[in-house]
Amino acid sequence: MDYSNLRRQAASMKKGLFDQGHLDEQFRQVEDLQDEASPNFVEEVAVLFFKDSGRLISNLEQALEKYPRDFNRWDAYMQQLKGSCSSIGASRMKSECMSFKDNCGKGNVEGCMGCLQKLKREHAILRQKLESYFQLLRQAGPTGAATRPVM
Amino acid sequence: MDRRRIRVLLVEDEEIHRVVARAVLRAAGVEVEEAENGAEAVRRVRERVAGGGGAYDLILTDKQMPVMDGLEATRQIRAMVVATPIVAVSSDSLPPDVQAFITAGANDFTPKPLTKEKLGHILAKFGLA
Repeated sequence: MDYSNLRRQAASMKKGLFDQGHLDEQFRQVEDLQDEASPNFVEEVAVLFFKDSGRLISNLEQALEKYPRDFNRWDAYMQQLKGSCSSIGASRMKSECMSFKDNCGKGNVEGCMGCLQKLKREHAILRQKLESYFQLLRQAGPTGAATRPVM
Repeated sequence: MDRRRIRVLLVEDEEIHRVVARAVLRAAGVEVEEAENGAEAVRRVRERVAGGGGAYDLILTDKQMPVMDGLEATRQIRAMVVATPIVAVSSDSLPPDVQAFITAGANDFTPKPLTKEKLGHILAKFGLA
C-alpha cells in the first residue's frame, strides 16, 4: 500500500476542510495536543464532539417544540452547542449557532428554525468529512489497524 | 532540586471541554484535579485547606454548571479566605459576564476553549510558569 500517497490525500482533505471553512485554528490546537501518550486524541475529541453536539441538537429540537417562543431557553441551549463547536474548531457550525442566537435576540422564530436546519446540515457534512479523513489517516498511519471509535 | 508540580483544579461539567482542557494542562506539565460542578470544587478546596495538603496553585472554572455554578463556587471559595488565583474559562464572555466573575472574586477571565497560549499567559500572570 502506498502510505505516502494516503498521507498526501489526508493532508489534502484536511486542507479542504480548512479552505472550505468547516474547521478553524482550534482544530490545529487540538492536533497539537496529540502525542505518543494520546495517539488518537484528535479522533477521540471528534467522537466526543459529535456525541455531544448530537445530544445538544436533539435537546434543542425538543425545546423548540415544547417551549414555543422561549427564546431565552433556546439561546441557552445554543450557547452550549456553540461552546462545543469552539472546542474542536467547527467553524461553520459555530457561525450557524451565532446566527441562531441573533435570531433569538430578535424574537425571530422563522429565522431560528432556518438556522437550525442549516446547523443540522453543517453537522452532517462535517461528520461525514471528518469520518472520511480519520479513516484515511488510519489507513495511512504506521498502525493501520488502530481501534476505531464510533462516530 | 525537584520543583513541585503546579496543582490545578479544573472545574467543568461538559466532558469535551474537560478533555481538551485536561490535555492542555498536562501538556504544560501541571497536575490536574477535576470537579464537575461548583459544589464539588468547593468541597475539594475545603478538603485541601482542612487537610493541610496545601492549596491548589490555580483554579480554572466554567460558569454554567449543574448543582452550583462557577460564580457561586468562586464566592464560596473566597469566603473560605482562600487566595488561590481563580480564572474563569467560559463561553459567556460579554463584559457583564466577565465583571460578574471579577465581582465574585475571580482574578481573571478567558473565553473558552482553553489553549496552550491562553494557559501560558495565565501561568505567567500568576507566577506559575
